[in-house]
Amino acid sequence: MARRLTIVGFLSPLLLGFALFFVYPLCATVLYSFEHYDQINPAEWVGLQNWSYVFTQNGDFWPAVRNTVWLVVVMVSLRVVFGIGVGLLVTSVRRGRGIYRTIFYLPYLAPPVASTLVFVFLLNPNGPLDRVLRAVGLPAPSWFNDPAWSKPALVLLSLWGIGDLMVIFMAALLDVPVEQYEAAQLDGAGAIRRFRYITLPNIQPIILFSAVTGVIAALQYYTQAFVAGQVASGVVTGGGTVVEPGYPNGSTLTLPQLIYSLGFQHFDTGAASVIAVVLFVVAMACTVGLVRGSGGLVSTRR
Amino acid sequence: MTTTMARPDRVVTSAPPKTQRRDDVLVWIATHAVAIGLALLFVLPIVFLLLTSVMSDRQALDGSFWPTTWQWSNYEHVFRTPGFLVWWRNSLVYAGVGTALTLVSSLFPAIALAKFRFRGANLTMFLVISMMMLPPQVVIVPMYVVWSQDLGLSGSLWPLIIPLAFGDAYSIFLLRQFLLTLPDEVLDAASVDGCGELRKVWHVIVPMARPALVAVGLFQFFALWNDYFGPQIYASENPNAWTLSYGLETFKSAHHSNWNLTLAATALVMLPVVVVFFFAQRAFVRGVTLTGVRA
Amino acid sequence: MTPVVFRPRLAAAALVALTALAACAPSSGHKDTPASADQTITFWHGWSQPSELKAINANIAAFEKLHPNIKVKAVSNVTDDKILQGVRTSSAPDVVSSFDTTKVGAFCGGALVDLNTYLKADKVDKDRVYVKSMSQYTSLDGNQCTLPLEADTFGLYYRTDLFAKAGIKSPPKTWSELQADAVKLTKQTSTGYAQLGFMPNFHGYENTAGHTMPQWGVTYFDSNGKPTMATDPAVKPYLQYMKGLQQALGGYRKLEAYRNTFGDEFSAQNAFEAGKVAMQLDGEWRTANLDQDGVKFGWATAPLPVPDNLADQYGRGWTSGTVIGIPAKSSHKPAAWELVKFLTTDTNALVTFANTIHNVPSTYEALAAPNLLADPKFQTFVKIAQDKNTVSPVPTADGDAYLTLIEQFSYKWEAGQVPDLQAGLEQLDQQIAASLKQAGR
Repeated sequence: MARRLTIVGFLSPLLLGFALFFVYPLCATVLYSFEHYDQINPAEWVGLQNWSYVFTQNGDFWPAVRNTVWLVVVMVSLRVVFGIGVGLLVTSVRRGRGIYRTIFYLPYLAPPVASTLVFVFLLNPNGPLDRVLRAVGLPAPSWFNDPAWSKPALVLLSLWGIGDLMVIFMAALLDVPVEQYEAAQLDGAGAIRRFRYITLPNIQPIILFSAVTGVIAALQYYTQAFVAGQVASGVVTGGGTVVEPGYPNGSTLTLPQLIYSLGFQHFDTGAASVIAVVLFVVAMACTVGLVRGSGGLVSTRR
Repeated sequence: MTTTMARPDRVVTSAPPKTQRRDDVLVWIATHAVAIGLALLFVLPIVFLLLTSVMSDRQALDGSFWPTTWQWSNYEHVFRTPGFLVWWRNSLVYAGVGTALTLVSSLFPAIALAKFRFRGANLTMFLVISMMMLPPQVVIVPMYVVWSQDLGLSGSLWPLIIPLAFGDAYSIFLLRQFLLTLPDEVLDAASVDGCGELRKVWHVIVPMARPALVAVGLFQFFALWNDYFGPQIYASENPNAWTLSYGLETFKSAHHSNWNLTLAATALVMLPVVVVFFFAQRAFVRGVTLTGVRA
Repeated sequence: MTPVVFRPRLAAAALVALTALAACAPSSGHKDTPASADQTITFWHGWSQPSELKAINANIAAFEKLHPNIKVKAVSNVTDDKILQGVRTSSAPDVVSSFDTTKVGAFCGGALVDLNTYLKADKVDKDRVYVKSMSQYTSLDGNQCTLPLEADTFGLYYRTDLFAKAGIKSPPKTWSELQADAVKLTKQTSTGYAQLGFMPNFHGYENTAGHTMPQWGVTYFDSNGKPTMATDPAVKPYLQYMKGLQQALGGYRKLEAYRNTFGDEFSAQNAFEAGKVAMQLDGEWRTANLDQDGVKFGWATAPLPVPDNLADQYGRGWTSGTVIGIPAKSSHKPAAWELVKFLTTDTNALVTFANTIHNVPSTYEALAAPNLLADPKFQTFVKIAQDKNTVSPVPTADGDAYLTLIEQFSYKWEAGQVPDLQAGLEQLDQQIAASLKQAGR
C-alpha cells in the first residue's frame, strides 16, 4: 500500500500535468470546434458549421495543408539526407573533429527568431548572397519575396540548423561494428557498396526515427515561417495595411500559423479548434507509428 | 523535436593496407576540402551578422561585405533601447526558473517510470511520448482562454512557467532513458537501510544522475531561451513581460530599415547560447552520451 | 441555434486552486469608478518612435493637468493583434488606440463599448465635429465603438525634375494619363529598368488593391451587406486596367524582379526616395520622410488619378487612420471617456500632434486651424481628406478579412493565375460571404 502511494506520489506531477495541460485542453478544443465563440460573447453551439467552413470555404486551409505536405516531403527528406552526409563527413575526418562538430552543431542552438532574421537579411534582394550570385553570373532569386522560392529559403535555413540530426547520425555511424567494414574491405567492396550494404542497414532505425520526428516537427513548423514572412514582407502595422498571412502569396502559411491567425487575430475560436483537432489526429498517428515502427528506439517498455 | 545522442568518438576504419595509401591520401584531401568548405559556409552567416552589426545603417542596406566604418555604437544603441534589459531579465527568469522547475517536477515521474514496476507503466510511458510529440498549437486556444479570462494572468510569464511545475514530457523521457541504465540494486540496497524514498532520491539517485540532469537542464534552458510561440501568445500584451526572442522581432519592426541595429540585437540574443554552450560543452557532450534514445 | 453558455470550467477551477492564485481571478459584476474619483487609467497605443512618443505624452500631460485626479499610465508600441487580445482579458486596459481602421469591425462585436451614450451625454455632435470620411470607418451598424484620432490619406508623389525633362506639365488626373506618363518616364533595359515611371504591382509598397480600388468607385458591398466583387461594374475594368498598366511597363515578371531590388519601404532606400520610380502612391507621412532624408531631387504631391468616367471627381482619395475606444471590461469607463474625448476633440492637441507626426487631423475644427502645417505638399492630403467623395474602408463584423481576401485575389490575378475573371470574382464573393457568415452571430 505504501509502495503504491509512493508510485502515485512520484508520478503525481506528470498525472496532474497530463490532466490539466493535455486532457482538458484537448476536450475543450473538440468542444470549441462545434461552437461559435469569439472570447467576448457567450459561446453558441453551431454543430458542424466550423468544420464545413474550414474544409470547404476557408481559402487558406488547403494551401496551408499543401505547404505543410511540401515541408514534410522536401524539408524533412533533405534534412535526413544532409544529416547523414554531415554525420559521415565529420566521422571520417580525424583531425579537428571536435571543431567541426561544434561548428555544425552551434547553429542548431541559435534562437529561431535570431537565425531567421539573419537569413532574411542574407537572402534579401539587396543582400550579400544576392551580390555573390550576381557577381558569379548566376540568377539571384528573390527567396523570401518570391512564392516559388520562399519555401526553399526556409529549407536552407533548416539545413543550417542540421546540428541535431548530425549528432544523432554521428553516434549511429560510430556504432556500426568496425568488423563489418573490415570484412567488406577484404572482399574488395568499394565505398559506395560499403555504404549501401553496411552503413545504411545499420543506421536504418535512426533514419526512421529522424524522419518521423521530422514530420512531427514539420507539423508544428511555426516560428521560422512566421518571422520570415513578417519580416520579409516589410509590412509595419500602420494605417490600413493588411498583414498578409504566409507572405508572399500564402506560400509560407502553415497549419499552426493558421491556428494563430484564426484563433488570435480573428478570434474565431471554433475554426482554429477544427484545425487543432486535425493537427492532433495527424500527430497522434505519427506518434503511434514511431512507437510501433522504430524497432525499440522509442519504446514504452523497460 | 529532437533526441540527441552520441557515443564516445571512435575511429571508423582501421589502418588501411599499403596499396591503398595513395588513394587514401586523395580521399583524405577531398574529405577535408569538403569539410572545410562546408564549415566555412556554416560560419559565414555569423560572420556577415557580426560585420553588418557594426556598419552604418545605409551601408547595411546595400549588401556590403566589409564595414567602411566600425560603428560599435550600434551595440550601445541596442542596450539603450527601452526594454532591452527587461527582455534579458525576463528571458533569464523564464529559462532559469523554468529549467529548475522542470528538473524537480520531471525527475520523480522519470524515477517511477524507470525503477518501479506497476500496472499501467507502459500506458503511462505512451502518454509521455504522446505529450512529447504533441504540437503546442493543438492545445493553445483553450489554454489561452483559461489563462487570460479565468485566471487573468496573460501578459505575464506565469502561464509559461507554472505548467513546468507539472513535468515536461521530453525531460521525463530523457531522464527515464538514463535512469534505466542504472542498476536496480542501488535502490534496493538503500531501501533495506531504511532510507525514506525522498532521501533515497536525494542521496542516491541525484548524485548518480547528475550528468543526465545537467544535460536535460541544458536542453530545457536552450528550449525556453529560444521559445517564441509561448511568449508571443502569453506575454506579448505586456512589454514588461517580453522575452528576448519576442522582443527581437518587435525590435526589427520598430527599426524597419536599421538592419545594422537589428543584427547587433540578434548577435546579443545569440551570445548567451554560445557562451553557455562553450562553458558547458563537456557536460553537454557527456550528458548527451548518457541520455541516448535507446532503452 | 441553441445558445450554449457552457464552457468547461472544471480544469480552470482546478488550476486556480492548484496555483493558489485565486485572488487574480476576475471579480464578477464590477462597478465603474466615477470620473471624479482619484484613479489611474491604462492607455494602450501603437506609437513607438521618439517624436511620436513625445507628441502623445505631451497630450497626455495636458490632459492630466485638466483632470488632476486622473493619472494616465500609457503603454506604447502595442500592435493591433495585442489590442484585440488584450481587450478580451480580465486585465484589459481602459483606453486602446489602434492604427488599423480595418480592425474596427472586430472591435464592435462587444469588445469596446458604444460611445454614443457618452457623446450624447456630453452633447458632442459627432457629425459636426468629426470629418465625415473618417467618422465613417469608426462605427459598425450604428455602434460607435471607436472615434477617429488623426488619419492617413493617400496621394500621388511625383518627381518634378523628371516630369520637366519628359515634357509633362502637370501630374496625371486620370488613370489613362497616368499610364501615358508612366510609359514616357520609363526607360527599359534588356534585363530591367534604368528608370520606371510607376510600380503597378500590388506588392509595391502602398499600391495595394485596397488602396487603389476605391478610387474607381468600388464599394465592396451592396446595401444588404452582400459582397459585390463579381457584380460591381467597376471591378473588372479596374483589374484589367492594372494588368494593362503592367503590360505597358514591361510585364508582371520583369516588374516583379525590379520590385525585389527595392529597399525597405520605411527607409531612405524606399524606391521613390532612391530614385528608382518617378511616381508613387503613398501616404502623407512620406512628406516628413522625404524632408528628413534630404532627397536631392524636386518632388511634389497630387491627389490620386480617377478613372475617365469619374474625371469630374478628381481630388477624391482614400483615408484611414488611428481609432480610439474603451474596452467593455474596463472599470474606469467615465474617466476613460474623458481621455478619449480630450484626445479626439481638443483642437490644440490634435493640431500639435498632426504637425509632429505629419498626420491629417480628424476634426473639422482642427483641419481649419491656422497653425496646421501650411506646406502645400502636405496640404494636398488635407484637401483629399476634406473632399466629399473621399472614402474609407468599410467596417465589417469580420474586421479586415474581406480586404485580405481581395488582396490575395489581386496577387493571383496579376500573376496570371486567374484564367476566368468572372468565375474568379464569383468565387471571391463566396469566400467573403462565407468569412462574414463565419464571423457573424
